[in-house]
Amino acid sequence: MKSTKKTLLSIATAVTMTFAAGAAMADYPEKPIKVIVPWGAGGDSDLTTRIWADAVEKELGVPVVVINKTGGGGVVGTSFVARAKADGYTLINAGVSNMMVTPNFTNTPYNFDTFTPVVKYTAVPPAVVVAKDSPYKSFDDFIKGAQSKTVTQGSWGASSSGTIMANIIANQSGYKVKYVHGKGAADSMVSVVGGHIDSAVSFPPAFGPHVKADRARVLVMDQKMDAFPGVPTFADYGIKGSFGGWSGVFAPAGVPQEVVDKLTAATAKVMKDPEVLKAYENIGALVDFRHGPEWVSDLKATYAIYTEEAARTSKK
Amino acid sequence: MFDNILSGFSAILAVGPILGIIVGVVIGITFGAIPGISCIMAIAIMLPMTFYVDPIIGITMLLAVYKAGIYGGSISAILINTPGAAASFLTAQDGHALTKAGKAGKALDMSLFASVSGEMLATLVLILVAAPISAISLQAGPIEKVFLLLFAFTVIGSMAGESIPRGLLSCCLGMLFAMVGMDSITGSSRFTFGIDELIGGFTFTPMLIGILVMPEVINVIRRRKVPHHELAITQSPNPADNHISFKEFRGVFRTILKSSGIGTFIGALPGLGSSTAAFIAYGEGKRTSKNPEQYGKGSVEGIAAAESANNAVCGSSMIPMLTLSIPGDDVAALLMGAFLIHGLTPGPMIFFEHTETIYAIFAGFLITDLFLLGIARSGFKFFVKMASLKRYFIFPCVTVFAFTGAFTAGQNMDDILVLIAFTVLGYGMRLVGLNPAVFIIGFILTPFLEQNLDQAFAIVGDDYAKFFASPFSWVFIALSVFFVYSSMRAKRKASKIPAPAAEEKPA
Repeated sequence: MKSTKKTLLSIATAVTMTFAAGAAMADYPEKPIKVIVPWGAGGDSDLTTRIWADAVEKELGVPVVVINKTGGGGVVGTSFVARAKADGYTLINAGVSNMMVTPNFTNTPYNFDTFTPVVKYTAVPPAVVVAKDSPYKSFDDFIKGAQSKTVTQGSWGASSSGTIMANIIANQSGYKVKYVHGKGAADSMVSVVGGHIDSAVSFPPAFGPHVKADRARVLVMDQKMDAFPGVPTFADYGIKGSFGGWSGVFAPAGVPQEVVDKLTAATAKVMKDPEVLKAYENIGALVDFRHGPEWVSDLKATYAIYTEEAARTSKK
Repeated sequence: MFDNILSGFSAILAVGPILGIIVGVVIGITFGAIPGISCIMAIAIMLPMTFYVDPIIGITMLLAVYKAGIYGGSISAILINTPGAAASFLTAQDGHALTKAGKAGKALDMSLFASVSGEMLATLVLILVAAPISAISLQAGPIEKVFLLLFAFTVIGSMAGESIPRGLLSCCLGMLFAMVGMDSITGSSRFTFGIDELIGGFTFTPMLIGILVMPEVINVIRRRKVPHHELAITQSPNPADNHISFKEFRGVFRTILKSSGIGTFIGALPGLGSSTAAFIAYGEGKRTSKNPEQYGKGSVEGIAAAESANNAVCGSSMIPMLTLSIPGDDVAALLMGAFLIHGLTPGPMIFFEHTETIYAIFAGFLITDLFLLGIARSGFKFFVKMASLKRYFIFPCVTVFAFTGAFTAGQNMDDILVLIAFTVLGYGMRLVGLNPAVFIIGFILTPFLEQNLDQAFAIVGDDYAKFFASPFSWVFIALSVFFVYSSMRAKRKASKIPAPAAEEKPA
């Protein structure tokens, strides 16, 4: 009898608490949401996040403010959110650089498990690019060239996403390159076009204008894009792994599931809006809306590839 | 190119850009004219506000502040013998002599006409050469840029004020602070002492305001007992003394042309700036003048030489920034920030990718000169009033703007701490005679040198001959050697003839 009473009481308490929690979270969001972009304004991550923020703001009914907190290769802004309260009002713009590469290759105060993935909205496929008058007409030429002599390749830092991607590609194709580190994908393109370096790893927003103006040639890309017809993909050359650049939003770990669900539902709605799709097309980003457990396990698998790569390179 | 400029004019002749230019010119002259605060402070404080407007408006407005500020420095130089900007130091000698002779109006007119002519000529040069140079500058890769930057450091070392060791020390301090944070090449943290906030390095705008603006405020507090100067234009009974005649202007036109040329050239070299241009052009004007004995004693020609040269720098200092993406001085570095925040990356590609925007900005530069002429001519009295405002009205406002400016740039409280820390450092540097301007140049150029040097080594590999294979490299090596030689010769000359400057100064 006594135990029944106790059980009932505990059930009642549990129900009340769940209800109370549900009622509290049902109100989310009730104040402005901050999204920290750990990169400068006007870049790839910034532009894709601003389009997302402007769109979901109307769905959520509260301002979604994008704040650029730059420095340290994305570490400054990302660590800031890692320390923030997990209430869904402080989010981080996640990408391959700050979530996959940096925590594996440098000593950061956070790692993948410090965050809960919410949504991914765009993908930027990496590519290997050469100047128009380069002797390398195809990726096969390039592999042969890089096997027989020193070929320089533009990237942006020894443990940056660019170099790691390039290393995985080179490792699987059996060639080696010498890296020349610039300020970013756009910076190395200037060196390629000026004939100072032989090739570069780059993204469509950076190399697009040069390819369109017939100053550069794409040898191979992560995935097919209508803007660059006839370019083979890494898969065509038997290169495994998903190392494309992408942009999305993560929350600090421990954020209530309701927050994730609300943000996901809002994103799902706006990703069907033709205006939003047009805005992404204009900046040269591929819309790639992903969420849910399947996406998170994909992310974990990719994270493991980078952890392996970090172990492999640190042994040398 | 000409259709580009024409379409640029049509883009700039709208309400927004014109309003921006007018605001910029008024703020620039005012800040320039107030002794103790220079136009760079106005630019640093206004920079974050321009993020919210169209790049054409924002950038032309900032450049209007720059041009008008360099001119504005001559107002207080002429009237009370206190240059509002360092570049007007020589204008003060001749200009104030004229003021004492009751010819203040003439001096002010000359300074305005010379400034505007110098700027116009330099802006035309900028428009004509920037696009062709940017086509060539694609050929200037990391190796060539290393030699260009080494040249810039040589120039800073040999030209920095009276004391070369102090100049070098200031520059090295700047280089040291530039290295704080995550190294962009290896990704390792340097000088962060385990503080996460330092991983990103020091933010430029708060640091600049801390080094250049706030120590001046402290200085004013310290010298609050010094009597206040009331500025006023003394009207001469002889109307010919109150303005410059066309004949007089034609008489100094050759000097203006030559000085503008010198100013344009100096401005295009990274690291020198408007003060150096004024000194060189003044010296050259005196050397070739028919009446060299008049220089320093109230020569309109001297004003023309100094003012046209220091203003010519405004236009041409954009050349290395736009063509090579290397900012030549602090103002160029701030403007580069303004370009970047609007998604316009300075460098050879800007002329291909943002043709319309860049030519609209160029057209804005030209129009700014006309507005400067008009506004300054009609508002002399107003600016003189503004410049003679009591210091205890001006400097509290400056302090507020300095702090808000530092904060709004990044919306980050840490930047306020950066501002305070560098205020202390900047004031300390002043106390021991180190040069804050050189510190800033060292801070700006170091990341460029580091990155290009790393790239150059990666490209060269074991083949060190490649370092010297390019003709561009040799041009900069030759220029570096020339500057070291000429500054050594100048020093020796100065030590042979004891204190020539003393003779020039009016008794």
